[in-house]
Amino acid sequence: MLVELKVNGEPRSANVSPETTLLKMLREYLNLTGAKLGCDVGDCGTCTVIVDGVSVNSCLMLAARANGREVTTIEGLANSDELHPLQEKFEEHGALQCGFCGPGMLISAMNLLDKNPDPTVFEVRDALSGNLCRCTGYTKIIEAVIDAGRVMNTEQANS
Amino acid sequence: MRTLDYIAPESAAAAVALLAEHGEKACPLAGGTDLVVDLKHSPGNIHVLVDVSGLEEFRGIEETDEGLRIGSMVTYAEIMENSICLEKVPEVVAASHTVGAVQTRNLGTIGGNLVTCVPSADSAPALMVLDAEVTVTGTDGERRMPIEEFFVGPRKTILEPHELLVDILIPKKNLGKPSSFYKFGLRKGQALALVNVAAALELKSGNIHEPRIALGAVAPTPIRILKAEELLSGKKPSKKNIEEAARIAVTASKPIDDFRASASYRRQLIQTLTQRVLTRSLEIATAS
Amino acid sequence: MATRNKDIQQKTEELITVEESKAPAQQPLAIPTDNPVAYPLELPQGEARLRTPAVGQRARRPDGRLHGLGQTQYIDDITFPHMLHAKILRSKYPHARIVSIDTSEAEKMPGVMATLTGAEIPENSFGPTYQDQPVLAYPIARHCGDGVAAVAATSEQLATEALEKIKVEYEPLPAVFDPLEALEKDSPKVHGGDTNIYTSKVIKKGDVEKALKESEHVFHRQFRTQMVEHVPLEPHASIASWDGNGRVTLWTSLGRITLGREDLSRTLKMPQSKIRLIGTVVGGNFGGKNEITTEPVLALLSKKSRRPVKLVFTRGDEFISSTIRHPFVMDYTTGVNNDGKILARKIRLVLDGGSYCSWTGTTIGKGSILAPGPYDIENILVEAFAVYTNKTTTGAMRGFGAPQVCFAYESQMDDIAHKLGLDPLEIRLRNGFSENSLSPTSQTLQSVALKESLAQAAERFGWKERQS
Repeated sequence: MLVELKVNGEPRSANVSPETTLLKMLREYLNLTGAKLGCDVGDCGTCTVIVDGVSVNSCLMLAARANGREVTTIEGLANSDELHPLQEKFEEHGALQCGFCGPGMLISAMNLLDKNPDPTVFEVRDALSGNLCRCTGYTKIIEAVIDAGRVMNTEQANS
Repeated sequence: MRTLDYIAPESAAAAVALLAEHGEKACPLAGGTDLVVDLKHSPGNIHVLVDVSGLEEFRGIEETDEGLRIGSMVTYAEIMENSICLEKVPEVVAASHTVGAVQTRNLGTIGGNLVTCVPSADSAPALMVLDAEVTVTGTDGERRMPIEEFFVGPRKTILEPHELLVDILIPKKNLGKPSSFYKFGLRKGQALALVNVAAALELKSGNIHEPRIALGAVAPTPIRILKAEELLSGKKPSKKNIEEAARIAVTASKPIDDFRASASYRRQLIQTLTQRVLTRSLEIATAS
Repeated sequence: MATRNKDIQQKTEELITVEESKAPAQQPLAIPTDNPVAYPLELPQGEARLRTPAVGQRARRPDGRLHGLGQTQYIDDITFPHMLHAKILRSKYPHARIVSIDTSEAEKMPGVMATLTGAEIPENSFGPTYQDQPVLAYPIARHCGDGVAAVAATSEQLATEALEKIKVEYEPLPAVFDPLEALEKDSPKVHGGDTNIYTSKVIKKGDVEKALKESEHVFHRQFRTQMVEHVPLEPHASIASWDGNGRVTLWTSLGRITLGREDLSRTLKMPQSKIRLIGTVVGGNFGGKNEITTEPVLALLSKKSRRPVKLVFTRGDEFISSTIRHPFVMDYTTGVNNDGKILARKIRLVLDGGSYCSWTGTTIGKGSILAPGPYDIENILVEAFAVYTNKTTTGAMRGFGAPQVCFAYESQMDDIAHKLGLDPLEIRLRNGFSENSLSPTSQTLQSVALKESLAQAAERFGWKERQS
């Protein structure tokens, strides 16, 4: 079946078998390999993308359900000139090691900061509770998210 | 995943008709956070998915003359952000918050939670103590029942294969009723409940009025502890009778031994947590 | 670095700027229902670190930017034209003789381009210490994660369906799961022969029996640790492809690529010069990606089908088929005096060595040497045995035996302290290594800062205050 949607602001489409997950469609049909396959059952969060403003496990969402919707993936965070403050801060703080959790983690963090620009540590942990990381122990990720929130707040205030 | 057909009907009636037509080969798709996982590993006889997640008849949260109506296809995230729910049924919001993680709550629906009907369903105890009622629709039209009647056994509800859950109604008199919910899992997020428990009660002239106690994950379905409710009804609250009520809850439960915890540990949890939610409900009742 | 050359000295001092931490609030942030944790974690700035232009400076990871952009290419992100997907059929039984395998039904399916069984592997054995591990089990399957057949097909779903069409006839054999049971004379023998013990180690120092008799107290306890799976977020993944000159290239999440190439050379019976192994950025290893898994299978499937072949483990495969940490059964007998001084320690370690040796050789070595703990003990006996069981292959995982024995000896120190009414810190300071202490294997240790570290740590987190 034909699935038409907007990904990172651009109209995209693909002809997929009905049971195809959104994750599979992004990775294999649209060549957007940022979202990862870590467990395929919605536990690890490496497949996290944003659909119509909310973060979801794309391995649990059928592509058909995403028809007509707006999807944001990690590839959509940075524009061609600038990194998103989260990406800046993750790099600066050394928040990622193997990097596999990165795309999902950044998307979840962005979803949090877009709704709550000044989260407490508790709120950051709660927002990232669906993204597992096996390398870092989460400390620097949390620091980077809070730091990025500060930057985004300042940018908002200045604009 | 094996090849499946996906259909998104335009109305509840159309959905019911599709389910009736395909019988056992079809099943309704809500959030998919449970179903899609199952389909990947053990699809059984399912060949057709009927997507009911967007149907208008199953969506929306509104306060009516009867009480608070929550559509079955409302997601946990929507409940958590809804001001009416936050004000009138805060423990249903609390229960929703304990489900999975952010991503799960954005897709998962409260109706899906009830229809999947695992003993540890988190929304169940919080709804049961508020005397919630559920509406079901099928080829024979709609019917309504108390939520306790909806649950039949582990992963088994009263729904016929062609029936769908429409909405949940919390009666007007219970909106704002002092209540408390607690879920104990091995982790704070993405964890199944070892025990989840809810209580609700009012205080009238210093005596407990209309107490309700419900437990999940300790029996084949979520259960109300009627004997404990009888004990407390009309009595002045005391440490003694709260402990006694919790003890009755332990006896009424049949927790299992499994790799997550032993039955004896779960019994300790039931005792402590039942006391905790009763105490908390009393605090709220006294304060208001 | 101090230097007589004033220009260089000045330049160096200009370069050394202690960067102010840009991390958030300096106060401890209390997390509701949590133990308060202070962000950022404060690290001491020792004097020496301020004197060089490199050490102590903040540096950025070279791959940090690509990670953040989501552009890092892991194996599963790589595709080739006409690439096939492989799946592996795993044994139905924990221990069985494979009587026959019939892949003909699978081969008939359109889109299934190649199948493979253990009998077709040129040299079906590999391993870093003993070459007891098959690429695909044949004729005996030794655990439920043992692969017995493989297919390559044009899609993953098709490959999964093809596996269901492969008919394997098994003759189930008695299986053993508990390592202590595996030690017994009449237990089922996983690799034949008359014992399941496949490697052992003994460390002796002094006269442990005599010292135990002379001790004022003898403590005995058995400790057990469990299986642990690495759960790298990226599952094992590999792609194999041949070129026109008869050389095979493998892109793989494998960590030890030189060893991997040796194993491929052995199992494929090819010279190393014809094998190219590209270890790409890996999404977490922790020891679980130290050895080949499906690389030879993919190489052969690729050769047969004349197309690149990719395989990515499912999360389920990761748990039953990739290596795990050795469960240990540890018997500790420790003789102490009233003042808490340890006179003797006798230890028996039984390693649940899984179905194949893998990295057990290293694990048993490390485990045995570290088993007595970082304590001055003059009389030591460590006897360690690794036994085969019909469970997942136990291999390398951060620590290689150290974490298991650490759990045992530290737990016992607390037991001893409790029984003798001593401060658990005190008893460790009393027995711990100092400069020039002898290790259990009589190696003289230098640069020993154990007691200083314990004392500093105790002061930092208010040990004395907590005790009172």
